[in-house]
Amino acid sequence: MNGLSNRKLLFVLGPVTGLVMFGAVLVIATFLTNREYTQPYRAPAAVVDTTPRAAGLEAERTAAEATARATPYVEAEYRAFPVVGSRVAIWAVAQLHLLFAAFVLAVPIFAVLIEAIGYKTGDKRYDRLAYEFTKLLSVSFSLTATFGAALTFMLIILYPKFTNYMMSVFSPTFLPYVGLFFAEAFFLYTYYYGWGKFHPLVHLALGIGLNIVGTAIMFIANAWLTFMMSPNGISDAGALISVWEAIYNFTWMPINVHRVIANVAFGGSVAAAYAAFKFLQATTDEERAHYDWMGYIGNFVAIIAFLPLPFAGYWLAKEIYAYSQTLGLTMMGGAFSWLFIIQAVLIGNLFLGANYYLWLGMGRVKGAQPVQKFVKYLLIAIAICFMVWATPRSIIATVAEIRSMGGSSHPILGFLGVMSAKNTAVNILILTTYMSFLLYRRTGKTATVAWAKTGHTAQLLIFASAAIFVIFLGVYGYFVEASVRIGLSVPQVSAVLFAMVAITAIDYFLYRRPKMTADVRWGHMPAISQYVLIFIAVTFTWLMGLMGYVRSGLRQHWHVYGVIRDTSPDAFTPTLGFATQVVSVTVLAFFLLIGFVFWLASLHDLPDFDQRSSHPHERSS
Amino acid sequence: MTIPHSVRIAGLVLVTTAFYGYVGQLVPQREVQPPTETVLRADMTTADMVKVGGELMVGKGLCMTCHTIGKSGALRFPDLEGVATRASTRIPGMSEIEYFAKSLYAPDSFIVAGFNPGMPVINKPPIGLTDQEILCVIAFLQTLGGTPTVTLQTSHAYYTPPGGAPAAPGGAPTNATPTNTTPAQAPVTR
Repeated sequence: MNGLSNRKLLFVLGPVTGLVMFGAVLVIATFLTNREYTQPYRAPAAVVDTTPRAAGLEAERTAAEATARATPYVEAEYRAFPVVGSRVAIWAVAQLHLLFAAFVLAVPIFAVLIEAIGYKTGDKRYDRLAYEFTKLLSVSFSLTATFGAALTFMLIILYPKFTNYMMSVFSPTFLPYVGLFFAEAFFLYTYYYGWGKFHPLVHLALGIGLNIVGTAIMFIANAWLTFMMSPNGISDAGALISVWEAIYNFTWMPINVHRVIANVAFGGSVAAAYAAFKFLQATTDEERAHYDWMGYIGNFVAIIAFLPLPFAGYWLAKEIYAYSQTLGLTMMGGAFSWLFIIQAVLIGNLFLGANYYLWLGMGRVKGAQPVQKFVKYLLIAIAICFMVWATPRSIIATVAEIRSMGGSSHPILGFLGVMSAKNTAVNILILTTYMSFLLYRRTGKTATVAWAKTGHTAQLLIFASAAIFVIFLGVYGYFVEASVRIGLSVPQVSAVLFAMVAITAIDYFLYRRPKMTADVRWGHMPAISQYVLIFIAVTFTWLMGLMGYVRSGLRQHWHVYGVIRDTSPDAFTPTLGFATQVVSVTVLAFFLLIGFVFWLASLHDLPDFDQRSSHPHERSS
Repeated sequence: MTIPHSVRIAGLVLVTTAFYGYVGQLVPQREVQPPTETVLRADMTTADMVKVGGELMVGKGLCMTCHTIGKSGALRFPDLEGVATRASTRIPGMSEIEYFAKSLYAPDSFIVAGFNPGMPVINKPPIGLTDQEILCVIAFLQTLGGTPTVTLQTSHAYYTPPGGAPAAPGGAPTNATPTNTTPAQAPVTR
């Protein structure tokens, strides 16, 4: 009844308001046209100018103008940012830009893959899932561009000399960058708004175009930042000799590869966090099932991309050492060595979180108990590897403690703090997590092929051989000289990669047509599993912030290593405590903004306002 | 009372971030300052040069980032204990000053068995020690198993001080007499 009265009132109020406004305009117009224009009164100039204050101001103005005219133009090297300083301001904005850019580049990679699976299998659920991921892109793309523009302006304002130098080297790359950016906007919005409007293959081609263009943009930007770390293609004095060599510097390709993989891992984890957010808010079993599945896929993408990431990291570190041993040793043995202990805590938590989620996920399938008995062994292996990886080489100790230990390294634990032990730990961690995936994959399934027993035995043998080989090389590393020891990480990594590929290949054929002993009950997950997904996303984000800091901070008091020296007040390398505070604040800002993105994406699912307001009874029921 | 999921999520993000921030406070906190400006006096004695050379090796030269003095075991780069003795005998006919100079200006010339090449060229950026600073480093290295003899007027194959005599053929360095043409003070960084 009230709604009806309100509508009548609105109906009457509209014309009345219009009449009142028309009358008001008429009155104002009449008033203005009936008045003749007259000059406003101004005090005679002579009276104003004779006051001592005005004369003093005029003298000051004239003197300032004369000084400005006499001063030659000097290009500023630096300008200061208020309160937090230029470095922290640039740091935070660059980090936020990179986090959103990573997300925007990563999501289309797996969205297109999922869409392609949907097209190939004809299963519409995949198409819906891919669209759900893509919904997150539009606002994120705008935020990426906004932070990118802010970063560019801030570099020009705060570090003009350095920015000028970078422009002198990389100006040929700027126009292609802008062109590609336009192309990315075209592909992204056509891909998003054209969902279901084109032939599936055309739509997939748009998605592939989006990925190609996005990756090319990242490669160009990577050339700029890697040049700062390992400059190439320039003379000793910094003059440009070859743009291509400046682009293709020592660390360019390792960073390209590392970032593509890391972006996918990060993007997968944030998308999984979105699914967790939606799962926790879901009101129906259908919604819970869908978002459970989405979270699982996001996490699967994140962890699968995460497994080869340490190997890409080795390559990057190797290239850093190849470029400059000093730079490499500053990273691993100098000011930044303790940062890798923090990194170990983060990666250890990621592995623990990912495995825990998988173990919880076994509960989705009835009859998972035979597999779950292995979980405790996997947990023990992960815990041991985590502890080894997080063991520092040297220990913070008092003088008396150092004397009693015979040095800053613990007589026993100190042996676990070296690369031989850490490389072994991370390789075993990767193998263990891979085993968790394998066990999860098998829950509720029985292999039916005739050679099932042989296949299982072969898989076990490969796994055990790889683990023993990795541990053997780890121990062997203690008894050989440095030049041999450094090379041992390659066979360790190769053994793990071989084991993963070989076991997956066998598993594919073993379980191609399995006997299903139970169905997967999507949505049957405890709420804590969803919080684990959010924890993983926060940890990934924090890890990206930390590693971004080490990559950039490694240059220490150089803008461009060995070429353009940082002479600003921020030229010092801050403490790790300070760096982690900046990373934490940036991560919180990112999650605040990504929360906004999630909320906007959720609006898409809400009914229109008209529908909601016209059915108040439905709302209340 | 049930806490809404959105509040729990916000709490989890906050606590996780704070935890990692806290871990960052547990590790040693060291602020690394860029090398500061200092001055090498033209009348420095060899003893002064040894002192400055030692400081350069720890600071601007970054030598001790890779090398050690008096350590053994699985080292990444050669230990420098007794290096003056080895430098004077490793290449027949080459003095330890020439050996050190070549190791610093052209480091890939001598690779100690069991180690990989990796020493940067010391007189070029990012380290960029000056010729006088390198003489100071050589003076310090001479103390590790030998007796320092270098002065700021010492010549070697890579450097001849202003007004000094070039290094003698065969690698024997010369100690030129100080002349008035040598600048009184040369600003360098350390």
